[in-house]
Amino acid sequence: MPTDSAITTLQAFKKAEKLMGNRFEITVVGPDQAWAEAKIEFAIAEIRRIERLLTTFDEQSQTNQINALAGIAPVKVNREVFDLVQRALRISTITDGAFDITYGSIDKRLWNFDRQMTALPDESTARSLVRLINYKNVILNEADCSIMLREKGMRIGFGGIGKGYAAEMAKALLLKEGVKSGIVNASGDLTTWGNQANGSPWTIGIANPDHRELPFSYLNVTDMAVATSGNYEKFVQINGKKYSHTINPKTGLPVTGIKSVTIISPNAEIADAMATPVTIMGIVAGLNLINQIKHLACIIIDDDNRIYTTKNINIQ
Amino acid sequence: MKKIFLTAAMAFALLHTQAQTATPKENTGFESRKLKLDEINLVSSYYTQNGNNAAVTGGIGSQKLNDIANVFDVKLSKYDSKSRKHTFGLEVGIDHYTSASSDMIDLHANSSASHADTRIYPSLSWSMENEKKGTTWALGLSSSSEFDYQSFGGNVSFSAKTKDRSGEFTAKLQTYLDQVKLVQPIELRTGGLTGHGENYGSAARNTFAGSLSYSQIINQNLQIMFLADLVQQNGYLSLPFHRVYFNDGSVHQENLPDSRLKIPLGFRANYFLGDRFIIRTYYRFYTDNWGVNSHTADIEVPIKVTPFFSISPFYRYYTQSAAKYFAPYQVHTAADQYYNSNYDLAKFNSNFYGAGIRFAPPKGVFGLQHLSMLELRYGHYTKNINMNSDIVSLNIKYK
Repeated sequence: MPTDSAITTLQAFKKAEKLMGNRFEITVVGPDQAWAEAKIEFAIAEIRRIERLLTTFDEQSQTNQINALAGIAPVKVNREVFDLVQRALRISTITDGAFDITYGSIDKRLWNFDRQMTALPDESTARSLVRLINYKNVILNEADCSIMLREKGMRIGFGGIGKGYAAEMAKALLLKEGVKSGIVNASGDLTTWGNQANGSPWTIGIANPDHRELPFSYLNVTDMAVATSGNYEKFVQINGKKYSHTINPKTGLPVTGIKSVTIISPNAEIADAMATPVTIMGIVAGLNLINQIKHLACIIIDDDNRIYTTKNINIQ
Repeated sequence: MKKIFLTAAMAFALLHTQAQTATPKENTGFESRKLKLDEINLVSSYYTQNGNNAAVTGGIGSQKLNDIANVFDVKLSKYDSKSRKHTFGLEVGIDHYTSASSDMIDLHANSSASHADTRIYPSLSWSMENEKKGTTWALGLSSSSEFDYQSFGGNVSFSAKTKDRSGEFTAKLQTYLDQVKLVQPIELRTGGLTGHGENYGSAARNTFAGSLSYSQIINQNLQIMFLADLVQQNGYLSLPFHRVYFNDGSVHQENLPDSRLKIPLGFRANYFLGDRFIIRTYYRFYTDNWGVNSHTADIEVPIKVTPFFSISPFYRYYTQSAAKYFAPYQVHTAADQYYNSNYDLAKFNSNFYGAGIRFAPPKGVFGLQHLSMLELRYGHYTKNINMNSDIVSLNIKYK
């Protein structure tokens, strides 16, 4: 029988909602449903607010104003957007550009990735496609809180960091609202805090790249974020080789060789932002990077189902 | 986060490769480089550049990062071609315990082995869950070794949920194959006062148990559970160091039959009365072929005073009849085939009552963040055959 010795009648309450183009699932542990639902609504409102701020689907969003004035003029933005861009640029520096918020500058007129693709572009064509991707051309002006993109045609987007940022902000709000335990799961990029209703830590499954609905492993965590990036969702096969929908911003060619990368970190924004660059950098450079950063761990599964991990993960 | 432990299924373990040995052929355009100090501290310094500390780890602040989960298990589960989940576990536990009463075996020595034995028990387990059908099969093996006891165990279990998932039936078969070292009372040892450890003989004790249980959620407020066991023990079932004094004043080692069949039948019900009260009840009937019949009735009513403070009064009544082979000091005669003077096998009844209090305030007990829960239990135990005791236990959870 469950909860044999626990006195509290705490329960976990869940709600799923489509937000930022993704399925968010918010879980809070609390004494009753009405209380939990009210808290979850707060979190949803917060994520909607962030969505409006960062979306590229609304012409009026600050993100789109920056893109529209690329190569022309700086755009004054909210402090929140400015800070987020600043943090994103820091991750770009650390990953030598494997993470880049100007990733959306890729030239889609010449080559659009889809499942019908039968050949890769040659190396120089590929490189020309990504010539506008360069985080160093994002000019931040601290004094008037403005952002300018140096080259015409450049675009920024928050696809690689926005979900993690929203999850982290929703968690911070819920904590402020007195929610002691919960999970904000942004389509698999999730952050946990506290414990389950029965007092034990949260159990987080890591999706099996071959059975995306099933975990290949699971870990017990609290106050940790876990994010996974993988090519098993979207890929194309050319001459028997699997290519991911992710384009290497250095070469312009699709990423190959890695099925999935999982990052474990106390912060969901970092976990989200780090998963894709490790896929792009490859096993050797990626592991070398994560191994050096404190409080980060990483599990990589390659195309042959081999598992590579950072040194702070041990098989016993 | 110094170490994260990954517990592996064998199939995956073979494929695991550490970073240093991995040299896959890649041409990503990215080279390994040495990070600068501020890059190494990315996580702890993530927000500090602009003073925004609020969101990092939910406002805990970077100084607390070192307290967060240094160790956690990553378990690999494996699904087979029929999408059934397999889980493997392997653990080795070391348990240190101290026991004062076993020192009475050897009145002459300040024995070192028995009062702080270290038990080491590795175990191996496997389970397969069919999530669609709601069924689970599990197998386990375990072994444990002590100074005077060696045990090897195996178990197999099957459980199935009812269609609406509100009820669950479990059947389990267990066996323990034990070797008991025959540590005799000192005056009965043939080797005089010198015998220590290596000279003792040993005997087998095998236990086979079958258990059935059924739990059912009746409604939001009521959960019930039925338990039935059948336990057969064979082999050396006496405790070798128990003394029995006959009516002629002679002293003997206790002697009990080498077979015992036990049948406990239990019923448990938990009733959730509103948000504040839980009524937990338990009843057990027990019978065995040594003539012991017993009844246990237990009730505990945890009351939630505030979300962070609760009181749980409890009461337990127990009564049993004596085993056929029991007789008090100097009552057994030389004509008895079996003899025992251990009062655990005498007729008695007992009462145990008391209460527990539990604090788990969100800001920590006494405002100490690290002390997340404190539970104090007091119980008064009375047995109608000259035994009273007060039991106080303290349970604290330290974060």
